[in-house]
This record gives sequence, structure tokens and C-alpha cells, in this order.
Amino acid sequence: MSRFNPTVPVEEYLEDSNVMFYLCDAVTQLLEHKEEYTHFGVVRYFAEYFNSVRNSNHILFREYSYIKATPHNRTSFIRVFWRCYRQIGKSGELLSMQEYRSLLQLLCPDFPMEVVQCAARIVLMDDAIDCLMSFSDFLYAFQLQLFYQEFLDSTLEIYQDLLAGKSPNTVIVPTSTSVEQLPPVAAEEKEEQQQDGVETSTLAQCIEALCDRFKHNYPPRSCMRDILEQNDKVSYYSFLMSLAKHESVNQMIGALPSKADLLIDPEMDQELDKLIAQISVSPGSNSSGSAVGPLKDVQRKASPRRNIHHKRKIEVESDGSTEETDSSEN
Amino acid sequence: MIARCSPLPCTGTSRSDATAASAAATSARLLRHKTSTEMAEKEKRRSAVLPPPVPEADSRAARSDSDRDFLTQAGVSELLRGAILKMVEARSEDPIGFLADHFCNLASESDPGTGTGDGDEGNNGTVAGRAQEQQRLNRALWHLRLAHHSHRSAFSNNVRVAYDLLNELSPLLRVTDPPTNDTDQVHAASPRDEAGYGGGVRGGLYSQTLQCLCSEGGVPASTSAPLLRRLHCQDHEAVPYDVFRHGVLTCAVFSDFIRQAQRLYADVCCQDEEPVSRALGMAVIGTLKEALETSQGSGGNCAVNANTQTHSCLESNVKAIRYLEASAKLSPDMLAQAMAKAQTRGPGGSMDAKEFENAAAEVFITRVKVLS
Repeated sequence: MSRFNPTVPVEEYLEDSNVMFYLCDAVTQLLEHKEEYTHFGVVRYFAEYFNSVRNSNHILFREYSYIKATPHNRTSFIRVFWRCYRQIGKSGELLSMQEYRSLLQLLCPDFPMEVVQCAARIVLMDDAIDCLMSFSDFLYAFQLQLFYQEFLDSTLEIYQDLLAGKSPNTVIVPTSTSVEQLPPVAAEEKEEQQQDGVETSTLAQCIEALCDRFKHNYPPRSCMRDILEQNDKVSYYSFLMSLAKHESVNQMIGALPSKADLLIDPEMDQELDKLIAQISVSPGSNSSGSAVGPLKDVQRKASPRRNIHHKRKIEVESDGSTEETDSSEN
Repeated sequence: MIARCSPLPCTGTSRSDATAASAAATSARLLRHKTSTEMAEKEKRRSAVLPPPVPEADSRAARSDSDRDFLTQAGVSELLRGAILKMVEARSEDPIGFLADHFCNLASESDPGTGTGDGDEGNNGTVAGRAQEQQRLNRALWHLRLAHHSHRSAFSNNVRVAYDLLNELSPLLRVTDPPTNDTDQVHAASPRDEAGYGGGVRGGLYSQTLQCLCSEGGVPASTSAPLLRRLHCQDHEAVPYDVFRHGVLTCAVFSDFIRQAQRLYADVCCQDEEPVSRALGMAVIGTLKEALETSQGSGGNCAVNANTQTHSCLESNVKAIRYLEASAKLSPDMLAQAMAKAQTRGPGGSMDAKEFENAAAEVFITRVKVLS
């Protein structure tokens, strides 16, 4: 307990954990679905709600505005996305931006295209964003984009200002309309600059200044400094890609394991083994080729169905029993 | 005369009251704000989704009224206010987890499934009975963790709640049939009769509670064993409230004490991570012992006699003086003196962390009354 620590004032304590946000949301949800939830009693409802927040299951099938509302929600969503779809990584398939967006929309019906686009740009270095991407590349880029969204937007503005030749000593306001006010620059010069990027020392300076007054989360400064020190010039997307791949940033966010452990999923492996055994035994299939087709579909279907089952668990008679797969992985 | 001039931390009553008041104000404000915000949000969403065949103003007002009615009827505001107050009081590091546990506890309390002593159940000694007991124990422990023992009033309240929780289990023990497989139950049946319904917490449960408190407080089992032996109660004994409170308080203070002793050792041996020289360690412990003895008092000055009322003022003064003396003995320069003296002479060899901890524990435990 906090006897030996200074007492934090009430408002600060409540704010830090975003507790009031969750309480408000809980009541709102209760009002919207009161017919479903009053069956079990209000106390039971709140217990289930906060348990699901604690277990990071609360963001499933919720709207995008809820998902991006708190850092905990963002982390939970990234983690759920990883757990649902890591089999794709195992199969080694490359997917396009649209396909990743569809997968995201299975978990969050109104997930916006822009976020996926930005993540794709990080992976593909802003080049031919219709290219296919591997699961792990996309996942880490997506994590960076979603978790540090505000920071990335501000950094992009700083970068563009620097590219356009604006002096770093002027106060950079994130909502500035500096792009319109710039004097016209020769087209070829600009292209050349964009390829090379900007001076890392100036960029580092500007980013430090940004962090000093920034109200949202930003990646650990030491990581950013490390990356910027490596080259003289850096382009925006190469900087972001290095951040996405940086292990400390990943640990700081805390949603995903390191790249080596990304595709480990022992339970799903067991399930698939069982299914393969069933299919090869069943009279319908006689060639290995036909076994692969239905197997892939089963892969794709198994995870969303399991998740719908999670959501329905709140409505079905629940005695607070733990979820099927999640608890055993923690 | 002021009895509160002791340098030791005074009760947190005034502090916790102020905190509770401000928390209540904040929660009331937030709840009002929240209700109106979510009403507004809901109405926006509703009116966007539904086509409005009915004039919107009327239907909106009707819906918000029905929502408010629903909330008040379900008692949501009181429920949330209570939860927020508890959370602010406990200031746990994981507020979300705290709320989840809090609501789970409430839900299982009001759930008829857990139930109180039902004479015909006869599930004592079975797995179900043990599981229920474990659940009660967990909930009691949760209550005991809520407030630090320095916040005396909050802590006492929580001890009371925990005691009542554990007390409820004892009636179950009365209704065993003679041929049971568990000898504990047989013992329990007879002495309980004169104690009456809910006559006290079962001794075994009490000892278990104390054990959990010590281990949760970060005290290794070997260090807490001598203390637990002193506080131990036989399984068939019924523990009254005073003894329960005394035991719980002692364990709570002991855990703090051990944690501080560990920190003290870390400070004394500084960065080298080499074990501290025995002389130094003994000197530190010796100073602590002396201070404790001073605070206990020689007893000669203040004789307790039948006229304790007239002497109570005097007593509290003497107590205060003793505390001042004790803390003076613990002041940095006194300790430094003792340590300097030790370095010049004293037993050789070194003392590692475990020994230091045990020695400190001994100083504490020797002052704990053994229960008869």
C-alpha cells in the first residue's frame, strides 16, 4: 500500500488509469442493452465488464472510437488481432492492405482505412502500397501506427516542414497550416530531398522539443536517439520502420512478444492436428490436395467464431468461468 | 494535554476522512456529469439511427427519463459511488483489477449460491465445503488488504468485515453427525455449543489468515514462523474479535517491519553487495532493540492502579515522552555513533541478509504476547 509513497490527489489517480472512462462506458452499454443485461443483475454485469477489461477482451466487436480511446484499449486490440490471426503468419501467406483491413473489420466493424494505409506505408516505405505484406511486418507496423498515432502525425508534420526548408528554430505547432504558406520550391529539388530525407540531427532536435510538450504517448526517447544516430540522413518511413522493428519499443507497448515468438500458438496447432486427423480419416477426402482447401477455410473460420462465442458468453448463463483459450495462454 | 505528540505516525483518521470527503465530491460530480453526458450521447445515437416519425423532442425526453428511472431503480449510482470510494481509499496500483474484484465480491455475496449455514446441507468436510471456506478466506483477505494499518479507522472497519465473513462459517460446523471422517469436526461440535451461533472464527482458519497475511506482505515463511507460533490458535478453538484483530494487526505491522529491515540492510551494506560485517549488523539491531525497550518503559514511574482514570492523563504524557526518547535513540547521529563504535571493536565475521532479517524479526517477536 501507499504508506511510504506520497499521496497522489484523487483526480490524478482516477485520470491515470482512465477508470472514469470505463465506468461511463459500462453504464452506457448497460443502458443500451438493458434488456439483455438485467437478467443477471447489475452487479454481475459490472463484474463481467471490468473482468473483461482486465483480461483485455473488452474491445472485441466494439467501435473504433472505443478502441482508440485509451492506451490499454489499443494494446488489447493489437494483442487480440495477433492472437486471432497468427496462423496466417505461420502459413507464410502475404496479404494486401485491403485484406488486412477486412481482417481488422471482422474484429471492429468500423475500422478506418486510413490507419491501415498508414501502416502499409510504413512497411512498404510509401512505395507501391498495393504490394503484399507479410503478417509480422504488417503487425509491428500496425502496432506502431495505432499505439503512437498522435505522435506519428506530429512527427510527419515536423518532417514535412523540415523537408520544405523551414528552420527548426521556429515554434512548430502541430495544427499549423505551414504547407500552404511555404514559398514554391522547384519540383525536382523536392523529389530529391524526399528521397534522401532530412538531417538526423535536426530531426532529433525537433523530436526532443516535441516530446517535451507532448501530451500523448511517444516512443522511448533513447530508442529514437539510437535510430537517428545511425545515419546522417533519414527519411520519414525508414525512421518509422526502424521504430516498428525496435525491440524496446515493442516491449514498451507490451502487447506483442518479440519477433521470434510471434508465431508460436500451441493450442491452435493442437486443434489443427486434430482436424487434420479427422479429415484424413473421413471418407470424403482421398487426396492430400483436397485436405488443404477445407483446412484453410477452417483456419479462417475457427478464430472469428470463437470470438463471437466470447461475446455471447456475457449473454448466456455465465458463472464467471474463464474463457476457453485466453486464460491458458497467460 | 495533547496525547498526540508522539513522533510515530498518528492515526490516519483525519487524513482518510478528508480524502473520503473529496472522493465523494468528485464521484458525485462525475456521476452527475456522466449521467448527463451519456444521456446526451445516447440520444444522439438513437436519433441518428431511428427514423423520426414521432416529434423528436418528446420521444427523446421520454427515453432519457426512462433511462434515468432505470438507473435509479437498479441502484446504479449508489453502487458506483460505493465502488469509487472504495477504490480511492485503497489506491491500488491496478484500479481496473480492483474494481473487477470488488464487483465480483459483491456479486458472490448477493448470490444465493454461496449461502449461509443451512442446517441440512451437511457438506462439511467435503470438497464443496472446503471450496466455500477458501472463497470466504479469499474475500476476507481482500478486505484486509484494502486499507493500510496506519489508517486506523478504515483498517478497523475492514477487520470487522473480515471477521464477520469468517465468522459465518462456524455455524456450519455445528451440524455434523457424530460419525464423520474428519476429526476436526468432532472437536468443533462440543466446545461450540456454549459459544453459540457464530461464536468465533475457527482457530485453523484464523491461523491460515495470519499466514496468508504474512506471506502476502513479503515475509518469507521461515521468518514469520516464530511469530505465527506465538499467535497460533488450535483448530478447535473459537477466536473472539479482539484476538482476531490483535493477530491481524500484528502481522500487518510485522510485514512492514520486515520490509523496512530488508531495506535497512540494503542501505547498510550499500552498493558492494558484500555481506555486512557482523559487528555493524549487531550494532544496528542493538540500537533498534534499545529504542523499543525505551518505548516500552521501565514501568516504575507509572504504576497502574485502581484509579486509572485520574492517571490516564499522566499515562498518556509518559507514553508520549517514552516515544520521543525512543525515536531519539533512532536518530541518525545516534545510529552512526553505534555503528562507528562497532567498527572499532566487536565480533568479527559477516552477517548476510537472511541473518539480519531473522535478528530483526526476533527483536519484534519477543515483544509479541503469547496467547494463552
